[in-house]
Amino acid sequence: MSSHAEASEKFIADAARTDWHDETLWFVRAKRDKASKVLPEWEALREHASQIKDHTLANLGEYLQAFEAKAQANGIQVHWASDAAEHNAIVHGIIASQESKVLVKSKSMLTEECHLNDYLAKKGIEVVDTDLGERIVQFRKEPPSHIVLPAIHLKKEDVGETFHQHLGTPKGNKDPQFLTEAARQHLRGHFLASEVAITGVNFAVAETGEFVVCTNEGNADMGAHLAKIHIACMGIEKIIPKREDLAIFLRLLARSATGQLITTYSSHFHQPREGQQMHIVLLDNGRTRQLADPKYKNSLKCIRCAACFNTCPVYRRSGGHSYHQPVAGPIGSILAPNIDKKANADLPFASTLCGSCSNVCPVKINIHEQLWFWRQDLMAAGLAPASKKIGMQFMAFVLAHPVIYRLGGSLLRRFASLLNNRLNPWYKQREMPVAPKESFQEWYKKR
Amino acid sequence: MVQKTMSARNQILAKMESCEDVKHPGAFLGASEDFDFRASLEVVGARVLTVEELEIEFPGRRRYDKTMDGLSLAEVEVLEIDGEFGVAENGAIWLTEEALPHRVAPFICQHLVINVSKILPHMHAAYAALNKPNGSFGLFLAGPSKTADIEQSLVIGAHGARSLTVVIRT
Amino acid sequence: MRVALFVPCYIDQFYPQVAVASLELLEKLGCEVTVPSAQTCCGQPMANSGFASSTAGCDTNFAQNFEGFDYIVGPSGSCILHLKEHHPSEKIRTSVYEICEFLTDVLKVSSLHASFPHRVGLHQSCHGQRGLRLSSMSERNEKPFSKLEDLLRLVEGIQITKPERSDECCGFGGTFCITEEAVSVKMGQDRIKEHTANEVEYVVGADSSCLMHLEGILRRQGSSVQVKHIIEILNHE
Repeated sequence: MSSHAEASEKFIADAARTDWHDETLWFVRAKRDKASKVLPEWEALREHASQIKDHTLANLGEYLQAFEAKAQANGIQVHWASDAAEHNAIVHGIIASQESKVLVKSKSMLTEECHLNDYLAKKGIEVVDTDLGERIVQFRKEPPSHIVLPAIHLKKEDVGETFHQHLGTPKGNKDPQFLTEAARQHLRGHFLASEVAITGVNFAVAETGEFVVCTNEGNADMGAHLAKIHIACMGIEKIIPKREDLAIFLRLLARSATGQLITTYSSHFHQPREGQQMHIVLLDNGRTRQLADPKYKNSLKCIRCAACFNTCPVYRRSGGHSYHQPVAGPIGSILAPNIDKKANADLPFASTLCGSCSNVCPVKINIHEQLWFWRQDLMAAGLAPASKKIGMQFMAFVLAHPVIYRLGGSLLRRFASLLNNRLNPWYKQREMPVAPKESFQEWYKKR
Repeated sequence: MVQKTMSARNQILAKMESCEDVKHPGAFLGASEDFDFRASLEVVGARVLTVEELEIEFPGRRRYDKTMDGLSLAEVEVLEIDGEFGVAENGAIWLTEEALPHRVAPFICQHLVINVSKILPHMHAAYAALNKPNGSFGLFLAGPSKTADIEQSLVIGAHGARSLTVVIRT
Repeated sequence: MRVALFVPCYIDQFYPQVAVASLELLEKLGCEVTVPSAQTCCGQPMANSGFASSTAGCDTNFAQNFEGFDYIVGPSGSCILHLKEHHPSEKIRTSVYEICEFLTDVLKVSSLHASFPHRVGLHQSCHGQRGLRLSSMSERNEKPFSKLEDLLRLVEGIQITKPERSDECCGFGGTFCITEEAVSVKMGQDRIKEHTANEVEYVVGADSSCLMHLEGILRRQGSSVQVKHIIEILNHE
C-alpha cells in the first residue's frame, strides 16, 4: 500500500489533471462560501450545532438508549454491533432470512468502512450501489474518492467508457445527461425488483426514534419504499437529541457540502411501511475509543458533509485514493488512525496545518489541532522511521545548545551549496535559499 | 446470535460516561426571516404554475389515490399531491405519508405536481409546525431529483421525479 | 517601551535582513530593543513533526533568554503561534507578539516614513492569519479586515494586489515541504501562478518560511519576481 506521499506524487505527475481536480473541488468550496454568506446567522448556526453535538456526545449512552426505546416502540428493530465483523454478520443475518440474492444500497460511508459489499459478495449476495457516483466506481472496481462526490476524480470520458462497457451505451458518448438517463433506466429496474434495501443514516433523533436520510437523487427512497426489508446502518455518533435540532443540521448540511440550500430529499423514517421490516444497526467500531479520548472526541461531531475535503489544498491536489482508506481528506486523517495507527500513520502528516478545514466545518471540529495531536501520539507510539527519530533528537540537541547551534548554522551556510543536488528533496524543484555571509546574530554582535 | 448482540449493546453502553456539565444550547434564536419561497423554488429547480396553467400543462395528471400500490405507481407519468407547507428559505415542501398514495409516490412518478397553501419562513418554523403527534413517515422535498456526479455537470432527473411543478394555492 | 527581539532560527541563518529590518523599525518607532544573544529556535519544527516531547531543552533556552520581558516580538507568524499555544511558561505565552500584530495592536502605528513604489502581491501566511487573526478568513462569514494591508497602505507608492484565492496555503508546512515534496511544490507553483497573473514585482508576506519556499520555486522558474518580508517594506525608505 502506497503512503499518501507516494500516491500523491503519482497523482500530481499528471499536472493538467491535477489542476482540473483542484479547480473542480475549489469550485464546490466557492459554492459553499456563497451559500454561507447569504445567512448572517451562519457562524451562530455553526456554534449552535457544535454545542448540540458536544452535549450529545457527553450524554451519548442516554441518548442511544432513548432512541432505541422510541424506535422499538415504533416497530423498528434495533441491533448493536461492536465492530465491522459483527455489523456485517447482523446485516447478512437479516438478509439471509429471505431469498434475495441482489439488493440495493444507497450511500453509506459506514458500509464502506465495514467493507460490507465484499463480505456479502463472498456470501453470494450482490449489492447494487444506487447513488450514481457510487455505481460508477462500483463498475470500475474502485473505492469512492470523496464521501459526497464519489466519482469526482473521473472525467465524463471515463464515465462514458465505463457505461459503454457495463451498460452498453454508445462508445465515445460522454454526455452527462445521456449517461445519467442510462443509469436511471438501469437502476430503476433494480429498485423495482429489490426486496432488500440498505441505506445509511444522516441523523437519528433520540426524542422520537426517527432517522433521517438525505439524498439529491432519491435513490435511498426508491430502494427503501419498495423493499420488504429496509436496513439502515448508522454510526453511534449520528444521534441528535431533539427533532427541532434537525432544523440546524439540515440548514448547515447541504450548504456546507455543495452550496445547495437543502438536499432534494430529506426523508424522515418513523415507522416501517405496513408489511415491511425496518431495521437499524448501531455500530461502534472504535467510536467509543475515540469518544473516550478528550483530544479526539470532537471528531465524532462530524456530519459527513466533506466541506473539509473541498477546502483542503492537499486533498485537492492528491485525490481521495491517496488516503488509502474509505474516508479521505482532513476528517479521514483524524478518524483513520483510531482504527489502525500503523496503516494510517502517514495521514496526519499529509497536511500543512493551514487550518482552513476547521473554519469550514459546520460543527466546528478542530480538525487541524487534532492532526497535530495525532502526530504526537503516533510518534510516541514508535511509528516514526528510525531516520526521523534520530534527526529529531539531533535537532532538539542542537537547538537547546546555543553555541552548537551557532556553529552548526555557520557550517550549514558555508557548505550550503553542497545541498544543491538530487539527494536533497528540496532541491528537486526549488532553488535552495542563498546563504548569507553572516547570520543576524553575527551582524548584531558587530553593531 | 441474540446473545452476542445483547452483549455488544451492553459493551458499547458501558464505555460511555455521562457528563452533565455540557448543556444543550436550547432553541436557535435569530434566524433570518426574509426569504422568498418562489425564488427558492427556482433555485432548487422547481417551477411555479397557476391553477389554470396547470390544467393546460398536465391535463392527464393523476391525483393521489390510496388504493395505488408502489409498483403500479411506476407507470404514472404525472402525479399530483398536496404538500402540508412550504419552507421559504430553501423551497422545500413537507409531505406526510397521509398525503401520499404510497411512500414511493413522489419518487417513482416521472413528473410531480404539488399543491401548497401554507408557507413558513425557515426550517426552525417548519419543525415547530411538525411538533405534534408524530407521523409514520414524512419528507422535505425540494425540487426535482438531480445529480452532479458526472464531472459536476448538473443533470435534472436522477432516480426520482424528473420535474417538480408547484401550485401555490392561497 | 522595552521589547525583546525574537529572531527565528531560519531568519537568523538565511534571512538576516528581515531581523535587521525588524530591529531598525522597532527602534525608529521608539522601542528600546534587546536582542538576547543565546536564543536559538521556538521549537516548532520538532513539535509539528510529532516530537513536542523533545522540545524541553529548546523551551528552557527560550525562557532563559527572554525572561522578564513583557513584549517578545518576532517576525514570524508560525513561530509566534507555536509559542503562544505550546510554550510551557504562561508568561512567555502571553508575552509573545508577531511583529505586525505588535505594530497594529500595541504600538498602534498610524503612519510610517516608508516608500516602496512597486507592485506587490500579498501572501497570507496561514498561521498568522488563521491562528493569530492578522486578517479575516475567506471561509468565515465575518467582516473583512487585514492588519497586513492596513500597514502596507502606510507605505508611499505601493500597489497592493491579492491573488484570486486570497488565503490558500503556499504548501511549505514545515517538514511537509520535504516529506510531501510533490504536493508542497504544486501548491507553491499554484500560488505563484496567481501572483504572476497580477503582474507583481514582489510577493510579500509576514512569514519567511512561506517566502523561502515560494522564492525557491520562483528562482527555479527563472522568474524576475522576488519575495520580500513585509517588515522590509515597512522599513524601506
